[in-house]
Amino acid sequence: MTTQSVQTFMNSPLTYFGESITSMHSIARAELEELQCEAMILRFAEHRQSIEMVRKLAERLGITAVDKFDDIVPLMFSHTAYKAYPAALIDNNRWDLMTRWLGKLTTYDLSQVDVAGCDSIDEWLDRLETQTPLQIVTSSGTTGTFSVIPKDVPITIEGMHIWKNMVFQTFGREPTEDELNPVVDVIWPNFSEGRFGMTRMVPWMKREFTGGDESRFHPLYAGAMDTDLMFLANKMRAAAAKGELNRLQLDPKLAARKDELIAMQQRQMTEVPEFIARMTNQLRGKRVFMTSTYNLMYNLASAGLDEGARAQFASNSAILTGGGAKGQVLPEGYMDVIREFYGGVRIQEGYAFSEHNGVHFACDEGRYHLQPWVIPFILEPESSRPLPRAGRKTGRFAVYDVVNQSHWGGVITGDEVTIDWDRPCPCGRNSLALEHSIMRFSEKNEGQDDKISCAATHEVHNEAIDFLREFQS
Amino acid sequence: MTTFTVPMFVRGRLITDDLVPFASRLDHSFQAPDPVKHVHALPLRSPSDMADLYAVSFGEIVDVLTELGAALAFERNAYVQEAYEACLVSNPMPESILRTGYVALPAMFTRESMRELAEAQIGIDHLEGWVPRRLLDGREIRVRAFGARTLHIPAGNGGLVAGITVLRNALTRSDAIIKAPSNDPLTAMAIARTLADIAPDHPITKHLAVAYWKGGDEQLEEQLYKPEHIEKIIAWGGFASVKHVTRYIQPGLELIALDPKRSATIIGPEAFEDEDTLREVAMRAACDIGAGNQEGCVNARVIYVLSGTDEAGLAKANRLGRLVYESMLGLPDFISTTPKVVDPTLLDNVEGSRLTEDWYRVFGGEHAEGAIIVSQLDEPVHYSTLLSGRVANIVPVDSIDKVTEAVNAYTQTIGIYPESLKVRLRDTLSLFGAQRLTSLGYAASVNFTIPQDAMEPVRRMCKWIVEERCSPDQVLPLWQSPGLTPIRTTM
Repeated sequence: MTTQSVQTFMNSPLTYFGESITSMHSIARAELEELQCEAMILRFAEHRQSIEMVRKLAERLGITAVDKFDDIVPLMFSHTAYKAYPAALIDNNRWDLMTRWLGKLTTYDLSQVDVAGCDSIDEWLDRLETQTPLQIVTSSGTTGTFSVIPKDVPITIEGMHIWKNMVFQTFGREPTEDELNPVVDVIWPNFSEGRFGMTRMVPWMKREFTGGDESRFHPLYAGAMDTDLMFLANKMRAAAAKGELNRLQLDPKLAARKDELIAMQQRQMTEVPEFIARMTNQLRGKRVFMTSTYNLMYNLASAGLDEGARAQFASNSAILTGGGAKGQVLPEGYMDVIREFYGGVRIQEGYAFSEHNGVHFACDEGRYHLQPWVIPFILEPESSRPLPRAGRKTGRFAVYDVVNQSHWGGVITGDEVTIDWDRPCPCGRNSLALEHSIMRFSEKNEGQDDKISCAATHEVHNEAIDFLREFQS
Repeated sequence: MTTFTVPMFVRGRLITDDLVPFASRLDHSFQAPDPVKHVHALPLRSPSDMADLYAVSFGEIVDVLTELGAALAFERNAYVQEAYEACLVSNPMPESILRTGYVALPAMFTRESMRELAEAQIGIDHLEGWVPRRLLDGREIRVRAFGARTLHIPAGNGGLVAGITVLRNALTRSDAIIKAPSNDPLTAMAIARTLADIAPDHPITKHLAVAYWKGGDEQLEEQLYKPEHIEKIIAWGGFASVKHVTRYIQPGLELIALDPKRSATIIGPEAFEDEDTLREVAMRAACDIGAGNQEGCVNARVIYVLSGTDEAGLAKANRLGRLVYESMLGLPDFISTTPKVVDPTLLDNVEGSRLTEDWYRVFGGEHAEGAIIVSQLDEPVHYSTLLSGRVANIVPVDSIDKVTEAVNAYTQTIGIYPESLKVRLRDTLSLFGAQRLTSLGYAASVNFTIPQDAMEPVRRMCKWIVEERCSPDQVLPLWQSPGLTPIRTTM
């Protein structure tokens, strides 16, 4: 193994594997682990210099170098690291301090970013992205804040490229030209732009999948998803949870947007049937790529079936779904409904989270096979100590992603997963895999409503939000 | 013990058949008589059946309860021991702290403390008879506090809540159906069974029922939560359960809500006057946080410190943080231990704060043993509503205004140091929603004689009935109003 090949593996994994997903998931475990370990050592050495929070943590722990997989575990960030800033900084428009904080989480120097006069989250993100190579992904939190993950342009492009290869190639078959460079219509049952979660991907998705042809991109909603609005919603939830909704101080500029949201919501009533009609008529027979969460896929499918309609895309189309139920309860047999509406198209399931790169696709056995640049760990949930990499283990999922170039690759998730470290998956892939049932620790104990203690717990208060929503309307 | 039975206690009679399984939050299950099948046995058949309670004197009720208290001694009472064992597998509190609650149970039933409670919250004369008073308009009134037909939904954090529920019911000559909580399924039952053993036919035994059903079981609730069966529901606990009960509230059926609360702490600049004072303040704050492992609504969670937020102020707050953490770890295990159950989402957030050194300093928490997070700005952590399991947040502030902003209707207890600051703040904090202001270190030291959640629940559990006597020469008779036309007879 040459240094150059390790560099290729950790900087452009798809190139390393010759753009073949079969190679990606066929590499022998021992060979891959050696490669991963080498890459991890190099990446840590690099990030210890270039990411302040990594350096500080390493100093505190007295770690100067890592040698084997488990050495990296104490250095991992909790997934909450990306939302650990005080929410008051946003309320008070302290974008200078927000920038300083973010600067400690990324390899890029943000000290020269000009945020003077900035007065909204979206504007702050704009400033960062026009003045640096950052591409920021945000995601919602339940306690009134949101995560800010400093990805960059190269990794975003690489990420989309990987998506395309994953969804169109078939494991076990060398990719054809048609699978490597397809130009397709993209069906996006979501907002047409925005920075929140997946919508951040839209411009890059257009570029990767449609050959830059704007008319081949089909969003469900015309409007942009507004980060400030999402923050407002989060803040309202958090204030309600504290019984302080009446004291919520709203920036008038932000408050005015509440009506905007309502207007957008009303418009959505007509956009859904229009979208279904477009899928079932205009896109009939076309080769498409469609991606969405289970519940949106299900809602569209069941609405379509109610009208007696079915999407009949070209059979070499690709559909990717996942994202959990996002707090919604899906009816039994929801996948059957989805399959019935979308017909003979291959529907793949993926598992991903924003703090690292890569969607892990489910095989026919329903296991999510881990991408080779992601080193998995199962931690004992309370102590966060790594469990032995042997046998079948369930615990807290953590990863070290050797590719993450602009931010730290070590992250401890809030998810409980199971990995069988010894038994290879019958699907034929050599890669390690997560069993299909993945659960958030935060959702694990819900649904038990008569456990009463007189302290107001957060989850209890969340139920109050439904009440407040009714109350407000 | 991983499985046990929660029988149904109906006015001295025990039902143990038709068992169905129930699961609880911790890894255990238990069984109880099918609640839907037996719900009809729970309510009192007729309001007139309350009459037997008025054939006994207050003194006699206190005598029986005193005997009950003595019989609840942990080491001698098999029912109480069983209740404790059930809590070991169903309650997040550790053994040593649970035990503390059971050991303290008999003291609640001492003659003096019961009389104090009755006297302070109602007035024994009002319980015993008709208390006369003459009003300005000349009428004579007589007022008596009657018991009511009640349903109690007590909290399950510690056996004392079950104890006070039985006690309040008996002292007010009420009729109680107690819905046992899944995290303390047997304590109310243990008290009821002990009572039945020592006074099987006594009216206070005949006016007590204890049963388990799953909270929110509408099939059962719709049959039971009706004005013809129940006049008052006393509901403790979480927002969802209290909110759920409100759907049954209607004229004739009242709710007394001891609803979800959080508590806070305010520490004045005097804490930093000298090292001895600071250590004492830290120890007192540690007790407010750590007692009962911060499972109660009375426990401190966010601690405001008037240290200032400049460099010197932050240094003071950080020093206090370290001392509070150390003091908390030093608490004896009958008060506080490493928590048995921790909220992983909270711990995730603590780790996030630990990395964010610019704004937070975290002491401890690496082994889920509890942690003190010191904000380095005048804002609590964004996850302050999650604080539990001995995790508290110290927030340095420059001015007291920042603190009053944080007090709201969910604020129950505020522990304050020093006393002078408490006196200065009491009129203001009350406006914002604070309900109990106490000396720092005493937040978790609860006395049930005082008002609770900004009301006097025992007073509200009674029905206040008035008998008036108006004699026409004292109180202006309407029928003698000027201009009234007398009835004309034609005979």
